[in-house]
Amino acid sequence: MKKLSLILLLTLLASVDRGVAADEGRKPNDWWSLQPIRTPAIPTHKANWIRNEVDAFILAKLNDKSLAPTSPADPRTLIRRLSYNLTGLPPSPAEIHAFIAESKTDADSAYERLVDRLLSSPHYGEHWARFWLDAARYGESHGYDKDKARFNAWPYRDYVIRSFNDDKPYARFVQEQVAGDALWPGDPDGVIALGFVAAGPWDFIAHFEVGEGKLDGRIAKHMDRDDMVAAVFNTFMSATVQCAQCHDHKFDPVSMQDYYRLHAVFSAVDRADRVYDLDPAIVKKRQSLEAKISKLTTEQRTLDQGVEKAGGAQLAKLRTGIQSLEKGDRLKLKTVPEHGYHSQITSRPDDVKWVQLELPTATEIHEIRLIGSHDNYADIGAGFGFPIRFRVEVSTDSKFATDVTLVADHTKIDFINPGVTPVSLDANAAKGKFIRVTATRLAERKNDYMLALAELQVLDANGINVAPGGTISAKDSIEAPTRWGRKNLTDGKFATGGDPKAMAELAALKAELQKLMAKLETSDIRSRRDQITASLGESRKEHKALPAGKLVYAIGANFKRFGKVIPTAGKPREIRHLHRGDMRSPGDKMQPGAPALWGGTAPKFQLASPDSDAERRIALARYLTAQDNPLIWRSIVNRVWLGHMGRGIVDTPNDFGRMGGTPTHPELLDWLAAWFRDDVGQSLKSLHRLIAMSATYRQASTHHEAHSKTDGSNTFYWRMNRRKLRAEEMRDTVLVVAGKLDRKMGGPSYRDFKFKDDHTPKFWYHLHDPNDPATHRRSIYRFIARSQTHPFMTTLDCADPSQMVPRRDETTTALQALALMNNPFMAAMSEHFAARLPDSQDPVGETIQIALGRTPTKNEQTLITSYAKTHGWPAACRLIYNLNEFAYLD
Amino acid sequence: MNLNRRHFLSTAAGGFAGLALTDLLARDGMIGVLHHPPRAKRVVQLFMGGAASHVDLFDYKPQLEKEHGKQWDPGEEVELFQSSPGASAKSYWDFKPRGACGKPLSDIVAPLGDVADDMAFIHNLVGQTGVHSQGTLLQTTGFNRPGFPSAGSWVSYALGSVNDNLPAFVVLPDHRGLASNGVKNWSSMFLPAESQGTIIRPGDKTPINDLFPPEESKFITKQADKDGLALLNKLNSQHALERLGDSRLQARIHSYELAARMQLSATEALQVDKEPQYIKDLYGLAPEGRGVNDSEINIKAETEFFGRKCLVTRRLLERGVRFVQVWSGNENGFPRRNWDSHEDITRDHGPLASGMATGAAALIKDLKQRGMLDDTLILWTTEFGRMPCAQRGTGRDHNPFVFTNWLCGGGIKGGVTHGESDEWGFKPADRHNPTQVYDIHATIMHLLGIDHERLTVRHNSIDRRLTDVHGHVIKEILA
Repeated sequence: MKKLSLILLLTLLASVDRGVAADEGRKPNDWWSLQPIRTPAIPTHKANWIRNEVDAFILAKLNDKSLAPTSPADPRTLIRRLSYNLTGLPPSPAEIHAFIAESKTDADSAYERLVDRLLSSPHYGEHWARFWLDAARYGESHGYDKDKARFNAWPYRDYVIRSFNDDKPYARFVQEQVAGDALWPGDPDGVIALGFVAAGPWDFIAHFEVGEGKLDGRIAKHMDRDDMVAAVFNTFMSATVQCAQCHDHKFDPVSMQDYYRLHAVFSAVDRADRVYDLDPAIVKKRQSLEAKISKLTTEQRTLDQGVEKAGGAQLAKLRTGIQSLEKGDRLKLKTVPEHGYHSQITSRPDDVKWVQLELPTATEIHEIRLIGSHDNYADIGAGFGFPIRFRVEVSTDSKFATDVTLVADHTKIDFINPGVTPVSLDANAAKGKFIRVTATRLAERKNDYMLALAELQVLDANGINVAPGGTISAKDSIEAPTRWGRKNLTDGKFATGGDPKAMAELAALKAELQKLMAKLETSDIRSRRDQITASLGESRKEHKALPAGKLVYAIGANFKRFGKVIPTAGKPREIRHLHRGDMRSPGDKMQPGAPALWGGTAPKFQLASPDSDAERRIALARYLTAQDNPLIWRSIVNRVWLGHMGRGIVDTPNDFGRMGGTPTHPELLDWLAAWFRDDVGQSLKSLHRLIAMSATYRQASTHHEAHSKTDGSNTFYWRMNRRKLRAEEMRDTVLVVAGKLDRKMGGPSYRDFKFKDDHTPKFWYHLHDPNDPATHRRSIYRFIARSQTHPFMTTLDCADPSQMVPRRDETTTALQALALMNNPFMAAMSEHFAARLPDSQDPVGETIQIALGRTPTKNEQTLITSYAKTHGWPAACRLIYNLNEFAYLD
Repeated sequence: MNLNRRHFLSTAAGGFAGLALTDLLARDGMIGVLHHPPRAKRVVQLFMGGAASHVDLFDYKPQLEKEHGKQWDPGEEVELFQSSPGASAKSYWDFKPRGACGKPLSDIVAPLGDVADDMAFIHNLVGQTGVHSQGTLLQTTGFNRPGFPSAGSWVSYALGSVNDNLPAFVVLPDHRGLASNGVKNWSSMFLPAESQGTIIRPGDKTPINDLFPPEESKFITKQADKDGLALLNKLNSQHALERLGDSRLQARIHSYELAARMQLSATEALQVDKEPQYIKDLYGLAPEGRGVNDSEINIKAETEFFGRKCLVTRRLLERGVRFVQVWSGNENGFPRRNWDSHEDITRDHGPLASGMATGAAALIKDLKQRGMLDDTLILWTTEFGRMPCAQRGTGRDHNPFVFTNWLCGGGIKGGVTHGESDEWGFKPADRHNPTQVYDIHATIMHLLGIDHERLTVRHNSIDRRLTDVHGHVIKEILA
């Protein structure tokens, strides 16, 4: 029966898929995870053991394998298990005793109340956010070289915690993280959620310093999108697409075209700090100021138009005259890409700057020519950066301390900007090896000042320009090839053209215009204009002083440019199919789309405006959360199951493809997926509740010799799995037991290292004081650096933020023993723990209660008392922290 | 046989009972039986952080002497990392033939001349980009982006450690700072945590993190530790006795005993002072040790720093460490204590190369006289090379298009050169047949008795290996 239906299914699917498979060499969709989610019938049993649907499926499988569930765990074990699994924290001794007492009268309702209490605790979101952030490769520095810190990454972490605590429907949670800004404009979470796509590593040097102008920069951009695409598919879909970068996926139905279509979806975005506002009052204030500014600007324009009108033909003629000269051929320049030399920028016009030429040999100099540069920056054009006051000297001394001949002195009166007309200076046969131009008053650029020159020519007795053989030095310079650089000063390249007569005409016309304007503007107009100017100035100042909006590290197309990272403003970059994934072998232009993994989807998105970044990402968000998407619902229920049971129903949570695992309980997986999607509004809390309420979950973790022979790894859940505390749970518990845990939620991450924002930032963990209370917060709020991972947490199998970690390793090593015994944090907390027991009548009883929530055995009483007597309580507390019982949950 | 450990764990142990014990047992290595008889048992990777100039150290280019000072023109467009191509620049040091093989090496690495007959040079290595981070990761992990295990992790994962009391994979970073990507260069990523590189800082108060209790925690005495270990053992054994069938609990008890033994072994391994004077002199150690004056970069200090790491390397290898990664050069900042000589080759490369050559030559000679060079493989590498043309007169920009590696020791044919660069040292002489890091890694694996194509771990749907989908054993340099 089974075989027959499978063959039938394959045939059906093959015919559906032929269209796609034919042109792109995709593998067929004939794999379990790509089949529609079914709603399997719930197996019926007579057993009393069953508490809900989960158990019906589990018991069916156990029966199949001739296994049987074990007895329920005792109340102390249950409350510890539930507290850790739902909140990542231990129950307090009082909570344990209360629960044990309540369980005596009505165990079932006590348990149910406990589940509900823990699910409504804010610590629930903190605990489960850690699983999500592991998978999302969340870190707070870039990684790679120059591992710059991301001080604005944390709002995304808080968003995940908040979303879990608010029990946000899963589809909405997914959509926000891919296209929140486009789907819910104005909603801060729509921007913050995009921290997901940006969470991974980013090559600062290749993006910020090299940039897209160079091949290496474009390769980095490609790798950047690869990380985004991989994260979206591995995390939401449990599907790997990244192997289709160089060839069609060898095993799953993902073609190279599919892969590059996904690149197109993210081609308009970059990782950057994005503005968002959480305070509606500020948003309102900003909007009202912007309205005022706009109103004043309009009035200003009206005044200007009035003046223009009053000026009539005379004014119009002057303006046309000026414009036609400025745009006409007589003043037209032939510009060059090599603008010239450019000093550093300064805020003061009287900053003295100099640039000098060293000739190969001392020379008798007859003439020196300065030629102004041309740059359209700030609409300046010809004469860009030409000094207002300056002098030119010749010397045989490179420092110009002795033997200096003054060739020209324009330091007393402003020099009229010559544009690009060469300024010729008579050097009067001065002999020297060095020629220096010193600017004593600098030209304005745009609210700042600098010195720039296109060319320096030095003519010898024969009228030959000897400057090109020399070397240029300067007080300072900007080296930004091709445009600016010291060597441009003698490269023989400068803007030319411009009739000197035309320039004189232009100056005359401008003077006439100035005179006429003085007449036209009445005092009324002038005073109103002054009022407007003042008011505009104030409003702009106020606007600028408003909190700039909060920042989150996310993806976006609009942000403040930094280095060579230039926002696209929403215009997608062109994406090409790359032969063998090589930027040097581009193929066809790719349109946005996503692999057609289930019936009814087309590989290309149908968009009203195909070039809209927003539409592209919205289409992907809808694709991901489609009701009939077979992957996404299975993926999330599997992750939640894994978080509780220690292993997923599918063992490879990021990969449901042919290279991944297959479900141990396929019917249960489908039933959970369908139930989660359709029956409980995609509420994760409902799913947690369902699993926690099951009899399967409530089993003891005790060994059973015969069962372990059949199923040694407990694949079929004939008992609960004993598990080790995760790195964060361990650290948080140590703090709780020491009486030091600060339960403050959210906000910037604590830093348990000394930070230095160097060339490459330093994260010195060894210089941290473990007694600093600012760092005694829950580990979810730890600042996570990539190039310098946390030595203590890393040793305890904490996730590496440079890769997606769907499931933590659980290892046991000697280095872990050393860390838990000797790390300064452990030593400090041992002392705090001991400090909780002054004058205790029963110190052993109290320590075991605090740390393990039970009373000590007689043997423990004797042994620990004797040890503490010899070595003191801090030493004894240090040992309690290292007990296996402290590290493992039954 | 398919050495797919992750798969083995997920099916047989499922991440639960049995897993922890296998982790400790993994010290014996995943490969119970090697793919073929090995020529080497251990590896040393010498890494020059910042990109060392091949044309100034190992790759002699007479053409640059002819063209020196003239605008360099390779006849094609060249896009450089920081600058545009300047004048051709000959090596800042003279080259002379060294050893019986007559291999020309520059004066600044003259000490290596004594062992030139043991070394195999490869002058046609190519990188993928001229970005430090990517180049460094490519050489350490075989991939130019984060997320992949270090070569050292693969080797210790496959072969395990010979000595339970020391880590299998040790990293000796430049004490002035970590190179590009920091710890990513020795992370185990998706391999078990046990195979990640453990940082040892010879000469530091705490050479291994948490090896000993903090000094200020006076309540922890030696006796408290000794008695504590015994008490822990008792309490944990009682706990395990009540929870039969879970080997992890036993493994964790065992891990505390191992930790105590590591305290002794690691301390002993780092006692360089016990070495005789002639050995200290061989490695060029300064009497001041770490305290040698380093306010201006100088040969004495660089020799002390690198030499001491080489000597510690030998001591670790003797004690069973499988893979040692030795770094010369911190992150690429200023004042330069790294090989990223954009400004001044003589100033930075001079002392760094001189110190490196003394230490590396001493390590080779010392291993040889102890009979250990036969089964110890040494690889010298860097993220990429530097251009044959000058940058700002006295520096050189990045050259990812060609650079040099050399290998030495276990299974390597000495005194040979395989793969040439072109007349300038700009690109491979034969552009269609360059050597890539995959080939180097494949060769190392081969010499260790491992087929690089068969050592795989499934991660995110791909059977990952150190050499990605590439790599050919370089037969020409095998003894």
